[in-house]
Amino acid sequence: MAFISSGYNPEKPMENRITDIGPREYKEFLPPIIEKNFGKWLYHEILEPGLLMHKAESGDEVYTVRCGGARLMSVTHIREICDIADKFCDGHLRFTTRNNIEFMVDSLDKAKELKKFLNEQKFAGGSYKYPVGGTGAGVTNIVHTQGWVHCHTPATDASGTVKATMDVVFEEFQNMRLPAPVRISMACCLNMCGAVHCSDIAILGIHRKPPMIDHKVLDNICEVPLAVAACPTGAIRPTKVEIDGKSYKSVAVKEERCMFCGNCYTMCPAMPLSDKEGDGVALMVGGKISNRITKPAFSKVVVPFIPNEPPRWPTMTKVIKQILDAYAEDARKYERLGDWANRIGWERFFEKCGLEFTEHLIDDFRDPAYYTWRQTTQFKF
Amino acid sequence: MPLDLETAKKEIVDFCHSKSKSKSKFYFNDFTKLFPDAKAREVKKVLTALVNEGVMIFWSSGSTTMYGLAGEGKQTAGEGEG
Amino acid sequence: MAKHKTPLLDQLESGPWPSFVSDIKLECENRAKNEKGVEFQIPADCPEDLLGVLELSYVDGETHWKHGGIVGVFGYGGGVIGRYCDQPEMFPGVAHFHTIRVNQPSGKYYTTEFLRQLCDLWEFRGSGLTNMHGATGDIVFIGTTTPQLEEIFFELTHNLNTDLGGSGSNLRTPATCLGMSRCEYACYDTQALCFNLTNEYQDELHRPAFPYKFKFKFDGCPNGCVASIARSDFSVIGTWRDEIRIDQEAVAGYVGGELAPNAGAHAGRDWGKFDIQKEVIDLCPSECMCYEDGKLSINDKECVRCMHCINTMPRALRIGNDRGASIFVGAKAPILDGAQMGSLLVPFVKVDAGNDYQEIKDIVEGIWDLWMEEGKNRERLGETMKRMGFQKIIEAAGVPFDVRQVQEPRTNPYIFWKAEDVEGGWDRDIVEYRKRHQQ
Repeated sequence: MAFISSGYNPEKPMENRITDIGPREYKEFLPPIIEKNFGKWLYHEILEPGLLMHKAESGDEVYTVRCGGARLMSVTHIREICDIADKFCDGHLRFTTRNNIEFMVDSLDKAKELKKFLNEQKFAGGSYKYPVGGTGAGVTNIVHTQGWVHCHTPATDASGTVKATMDVVFEEFQNMRLPAPVRISMACCLNMCGAVHCSDIAILGIHRKPPMIDHKVLDNICEVPLAVAACPTGAIRPTKVEIDGKSYKSVAVKEERCMFCGNCYTMCPAMPLSDKEGDGVALMVGGKISNRITKPAFSKVVVPFIPNEPPRWPTMTKVIKQILDAYAEDARKYERLGDWANRIGWERFFEKCGLEFTEHLIDDFRDPAYYTWRQTTQFKF
Repeated sequence: MPLDLETAKKEIVDFCHSKSKSKSKFYFNDFTKLFPDAKAREVKKVLTALVNEGVMIFWSSGSTTMYGLAGEGKQTAGEGEG
Repeated sequence: MAKHKTPLLDQLESGPWPSFVSDIKLECENRAKNEKGVEFQIPADCPEDLLGVLELSYVDGETHWKHGGIVGVFGYGGGVIGRYCDQPEMFPGVAHFHTIRVNQPSGKYYTTEFLRQLCDLWEFRGSGLTNMHGATGDIVFIGTTTPQLEEIFFELTHNLNTDLGGSGSNLRTPATCLGMSRCEYACYDTQALCFNLTNEYQDELHRPAFPYKFKFKFDGCPNGCVASIARSDFSVIGTWRDEIRIDQEAVAGYVGGELAPNAGAHAGRDWGKFDIQKEVIDLCPSECMCYEDGKLSINDKECVRCMHCINTMPRALRIGNDRGASIFVGAKAPILDGAQMGSLLVPFVKVDAGNDYQEIKDIVEGIWDLWMEEGKNRERLGETMKRMGFQKIIEAAGVPFDVRQVQEPRTNPYIFWKAEDVEGGWDRDIVEYRKRHQQ
């Protein structure tokens, strides 16, 4: 493995350096039919699950085949996607905000042929490579974070929980039979790099044990003021600790004030908080982004904790399916999951979904808490 | 009044040294406080110059970023990148 | 033959949804075979070690990654996230395994030529594993060693003409929906605005000087496909302020059942015959529509542009002609002070490429000046707003106060009057007062 230089000279980092050039201009990458009809689209139709047609003022029609994929993707896989785009779409494709892949062609026949082809491609283990779907009133791809694959503060895995969930709700990815779209999102800790706080269903990794403190090394590997400043609730203070007659500069954590975010661990590796028994997932529901009919809304915690059960998280997926089924059964056409819960009342929501209400589901975090308590005589028995 | 680049650079480096006993990394705001009359963007230019000279480096938590003198601080050794 | 046994991960190969485990295994095989004779610059078997360390996490329910804050490319404070494995002897291929964020093109359109270039680079100098895409929108390269960071940056900028994305207290990589490129709902060119602002603010994107992260996101219409109202400190959402364009013939087509409602989005279940009264008129949140004698009418003045009727009958109804955008500020995910939705700052602004979007840039810069001055460390704009009051942000943005900025007026009368608000100011004479009132 000989080192091969790109041309970069470490002795003179500024030599020939190119910076601040930004991304490639999107116009370079538009398929010709998209470029030609840019800003001149009349309407669209979803002809069948995963197959869209957009009609332009010019009379042109572009057919899009949408397929799902794991967002954790190898270059081998991307190259195969490129092969497909070369074969069917003159070397153009796009990705959606929700990690789907879209192939665009200029006729319905080609689109159908492509859809068939995509649905035929399987991995050696048996799963689809490019399942077509993710349109209309169904479940589309789950947006998610890194989890155990590559993050230092996750309370669960992301790719695994997503795979397990999508397997369980797969029929809804390929169909459009729900009352409205259901957006599922996954973030592996409270910091929510994958902002899941406005999703119909959110899977959220949570820790439940405060950080441990590795007193003997803390002062050697981190700076106490930074660890103190890292805590959003001000639960960390500097202290001295005596171990085996030796005094160490360290920190103390006011544990009842810990919100289990892991920010201290980011600043100070001597404060790990991951724990097999402590960590797991919470489920949140009823959020939305769109302004359609009702306002955008936050998701609400309806299951405070489910243990991690790798590799397939059966309890978690069972509860998600329960919620999805109750919603599909009971909600009105166009009603998003949160709108349905609001209409029937959250007391009914718990009943219909077979969920238990516990003390942990009553908000007690800062100002917004009060506004979630009930201040009316109107409620249901 | 615009900042004099060289004077400002020295002031920043001196400030970092003066704090080096307790910490080696600083938020951007810690430096703007040194120059109460200057705009934040001017202070940033000074820091950028120090970074481009290799005197200062960034330290990132992924979500937040801090500045510190190159080669100093406990993380440098801890991450084996010293 | 796999380097590590992964019995738990192997169970994620079955089931219909694309298996990331199968994909990584394929990558392992290809790197082992190396048919093209690539001179891998980091251990060829690193994907094997990644599966190994992930399996270990599946066994002991804990992560095996450590964060690293120092690594990056010279002069940039973002775009690279340091990662180290906490079991380097067991998994040497991923001992140092940093992330690189590459700025994606607006709307995430690609040519296969460019994607293949990215793949070639990342196979040669990295793990060959990516995220297409990360949560903020970047192309994410997962896993390379420290010496490769500058090499990759050099090749990206010199050969691929592309730059890194943001991380840390930076402007984060701006993201947009596909906008006018393929959507009839787009009220402005989201891709152009995203591209323009990304280039305008390269310094803010690469050299952190904010109290915390700052996100731009651009949605073409109130459907909000990139979730800007929930996820970005500065959210630009397309809108219009004149009439929805109605094609009465197409309305009749929907009513008569010749056209599939909802663009076919509900076609998978038998919801019965389309009922315009029940499904459109009665669901309109501002009750501004009526359907009588085969004619649809909209009282556009009362319309709140929720998009429901347009989404339901896209061939009959189209967005208005007087288009622009609304600007929302201060959205964020939970930490530290709880989740916040973006609050309406500017009800309507023309999105004008002609003057290089100067009106929008002035608002951005006004807000940044205030936030950089007053924002506490690790405080998102939304939290600064809550602490200081929305009025301060509105003033800093240089835009007028407007009743649309509130859901309802305040319910408490504890107004922080200023001396200049009050006739005669606050200077009063106690002696004069005593002439009228005994002590």
